[in-house]
Amino acid sequence: MNPEPFLQLDRLIHEKGRLGIMSMLAASPELSFTELRTALGMTDGNLTTHIRTLQQEGYVSVAKSYQNNRPLTTCSLTPAGRKAFAGYINLLEQIVKQNKPK
Amino acid sequence: MNPNLAEENLQTIRLLMERSALYRRALAPIMLLAGILGLLAAVIGLYFQVESSRAFAGLWLGTACVAVTSAFLLARRQALKDSEPFWSPPTCRVGQALLPPLLSGLFLGGLPAMLTNNWAADFIMALVWLLFYGCALHSAGFFMARGIKWFGWGFIAGAIVLLLSVQVTGYQGSPLSANWVMGFFFGGLHFAYGIYLYFTEPKNPAA
Repeated sequence: MNPEPFLQLDRLIHEKGRLGIMSMLAASPELSFTELRTALGMTDGNLTTHIRTLQQEGYVSVAKSYQNNRPLTTCSLTPAGRKAFAGYINLLEQIVKQNKPK
Repeated sequence: MNPNLAEENLQTIRLLMERSALYRRALAPIMLLAGILGLLAAVIGLYFQVESSRAFAGLWLGTACVAVTSAFLLARRQALKDSEPFWSPPTCRVGQALLPPLLSGLFLGGLPAMLTNNWAADFIMALVWLLFYGCALHSAGFFMARGIKWFGWGFIAGAIVLLLSVQVTGYQGSPLSANWVMGFFFGGLHFAYGIYLYFTEPKNPAA
């Protein structure tokens, strides 16, 4: 087995919680903090930490606004985040392909 | 990395992506159009005094057919404009969620019209349609913007309140009251929600 694709996997995305956030944001233009929290079953603190990590890496952008006089935090993938996620998926597919019986 | 784990990760990613992809296509125009058609049907029903249950069912089922066809064309037009497949996974899921309650409502609501041609059945028919339509919207709301669920609850609550008031007060409605109810809920509510969405929806939605 060629270990190369595995070594190239983006460690930042590979963590389970962050992978969930990236997967959900990849399929939607933007999602609110509440929607992410509900769908992924995370605590506020856990989700905030992961989002901050992804934000620091430039993968996720966070916007704060108001809706019906209530604060609304929405997250979306940046172009860099989208590219990194696509690269991560490609590598996973390579790993699966390598090990399929011929 | 264990290749099975890689495959599991891909499955999880796919599942999460499908779950987060919400149906957002052309909602405001569809709601506005449904509202206008509903109001128009109510005006026709009241002006031409559509009372017998068969004529009432014909008028409103015909309106529903026009509304569904127009909604389909509007959604398809947006999909073509954005070079997206029309039957995207969120569209399929919304369709699957809408179908069972709508078919049940169609059958149960239409039953009085098949059994009797009396105007007294119109009111109950309208309430049954409201109830099932509300359930359909609520089911579809799991794959759409969150407001749709509340919109569905509006229909369900309206139907329950009216059904209870019929039960408690013994009010049978007047020959034209069913047209008023349908006009208010299917016309007025759709139109109001369409206006709300028009001003609040993101301008470049993806399905």
